[in-house]
Amino acid sequence: MKQQTTLAPWFPLRLLISPTKVFNELAGTRPDPFVMFFKYLVWFALIPPFLAYIGAATFGWRLGAAEPLFLPAGDLLLVNMLYFAALLFGLVSTAVISQWMASTYGARQSIGIHFALVTIIAGPLVVGSLVHLYPHVFINILAFIPALIWSMFLLFRGIPVVLRITPERGMLMASALIGYLLVAAVSLLGITVALWSRGIGPSIGV
Amino acid sequence: MNTTATKSNLYYHDRVVTVLVAWSIVWSVLGMAVGLYVAAELVWPQLDFGYPWLSYGRLRPLHTNVVVFGFAVSALMATAFYSVQRTSHVPLFAPALAWFCCIAWQLAIVAGGLSLLAGINASKEYAELEWPFDIAITIVWVCFAIVFFGTIAKRKIQPIYVSNWFYGGLIIVIAMLHIVNSLAMPVTLTKSYSLFAGAPDAIVQWWYGHNAVGFLLTGGFLGMMYYFLPKQAGRPIWSYRLSIVAFWAFTYSYIWAGPHHLHFNAIPDWVQSLGMVMSLILLAPSWATMINGIMTVSGAHAKLKTDPALKFIVLSLAFYGLATFEGPMMAIKSVNIVSHFTDWTIGHVHSGALGWNAMITFGTFYFLVPKLAGRDLYSVKLANIHFWLALAGTMLYILAMWGAGVSQGLLWLSLDEIGELNFSFKDIMGSMAPYYGLRVVAGVLFLSGTLLLAFNLFKTLQGQKVVRVVPPPVAAMEAA
Repeated sequence: MKQQTTLAPWFPLRLLISPTKVFNELAGTRPDPFVMFFKYLVWFALIPPFLAYIGAATFGWRLGAAEPLFLPAGDLLLVNMLYFAALLFGLVSTAVISQWMASTYGARQSIGIHFALVTIIAGPLVVGSLVHLYPHVFINILAFIPALIWSMFLLFRGIPVVLRITPERGMLMASALIGYLLVAAVSLLGITVALWSRGIGPSIGV
Repeated sequence: MNTTATKSNLYYHDRVVTVLVAWSIVWSVLGMAVGLYVAAELVWPQLDFGYPWLSYGRLRPLHTNVVVFGFAVSALMATAFYSVQRTSHVPLFAPALAWFCCIAWQLAIVAGGLSLLAGINASKEYAELEWPFDIAITIVWVCFAIVFFGTIAKRKIQPIYVSNWFYGGLIIVIAMLHIVNSLAMPVTLTKSYSLFAGAPDAIVQWWYGHNAVGFLLTGGFLGMMYYFLPKQAGRPIWSYRLSIVAFWAFTYSYIWAGPHHLHFNAIPDWVQSLGMVMSLILLAPSWATMINGIMTVSGAHAKLKTDPALKFIVLSLAFYGLATFEGPMMAIKSVNIVSHFTDWTIGHVHSGALGWNAMITFGTFYFLVPKLAGRDLYSVKLANIHFWLALAGTMLYILAMWGAGVSQGLLWLSLDEIGELNFSFKDIMGSMAPYYGLRVVAGVLFLSGTLLLAFNLFKTLQGQKVVRVVPPPVAAMEAA
């Protein structure tokens, strides 16, 4: 199997059109973790908060019943910096957890390939985060549904090819990883409201 | 092991198991359909057509009672009867009593459901049925205990397998909770007053309510998992010792967690804090069990190729992990102050109820029914379609309720500059229609999957006689 150290820089975008091709390419590649991290993951963690900042500053948070909620610029910056930190932690920890799980499922264990895997899963969600430009909660949820479906499809399809295991083992590992991702998602929600109740973010009467 | 033995004390009593499974499926379809209807009523309130019995207030308890007591308890009784025979190597003790449990329980659900539609309601959540039903339930439950523990008492092997510890915990704790919480002074045949009043009433109610979730929807289903997962995976539990430690840790810590339902209410602050701390501790035994399940199945990947049932069980463990993490997190006071009284709680309940309870039951039924019928599943393809419908329905439901819940929490804590509430309850609820619409879509997806299961399993069983299985010969148990 041919071993490369670099990938075409637009590979996360090509995943939207021809995922199988990209999976096969990745299967024959040993990505450099530093390259994967600085070339993709940092930016993936940065794009959603950046878009969310612009959206919230321009249109305000739209929660349905209320007038748009505008936060002071300083608060908004703090909230989005925390969003960036949480996403970065989420992306890196998912890669580490995935590497940790790999031994159980007999999958490849180099951290670089797990960074690549996380890049694959996160790709559709980063594209979906374009909707942050208009931070209406319901519209954001609607936009994230197809993004999530695509992301889960890539996860289930991608794991066996990229990590070179049988589809059945891939299914088991993908399900275990979904368990972790669900927990990570709900943690983000929990941390957010815990910060609100401690005075960081929108002012609430607690 | 299949023979044509005719004497009833020679073979396992699986006909009663089959009938309970069939009823469980009937209740799952009906209960979920009622749930879908009340979800639609929250978008289009005119769907009650002016009939009191079609109103949200009557249909909602019907939904919860039918899915919890109809679908879940019938499934638990079926799987407890099936597995206790096989782990004890003897047929059921008092099989006639097992049949009585099966039939009387279904009658109680039918009559109880009708009483809820008629507006007879004890006003305790998940314990809405009035006192005559409470007595009937107690009688059936005691019979369930006699059959189950009687079978264990006459077992032919010394150890009591871990699934039986969980089923036994379910039977004992639910009896205790049901009897204490239902203590009431009857006034008429259809009206009684609780023996508890005010804050103690609330504490007893949520001691019951939370532990019903704990010992029925968690403990009971863990019993199901500990028997059927190793069976399906074809390998023993990853760590048997961990399963026993997790059982006792689970049993000890769960019983204290109820007060987290009453955060910021008129109960002593230390009771709330104790409930919160014990809820956090509960994460350890819950996740120990999840890891045990995931590690057991991790070596059984070859089976996934041919067995659609295993997929449901694998995914149910992921949702079990989510629900048992989300619960303790929502019990933290600084999270709960936003999440309490919002749809986030409804989303949390359904990540457990759809993702964990329903999925593991579906997986178990796809495994169990072909075994009972003595032939292959009618359609593996339909089961695979069901899997994706169930997953999509659950995910969509959770997402919709997360969005609705966090928005609600933020909106009804929003104050203006003089400290008055910014928005009325009515305005906030009025703005939730899009989320509730999304939940209706989620419900349609999930219910369609359940209908596929019902059709698939009906076709599998159709025209078949229940296979007779004789207990394997084992050496007589020596006295300890």
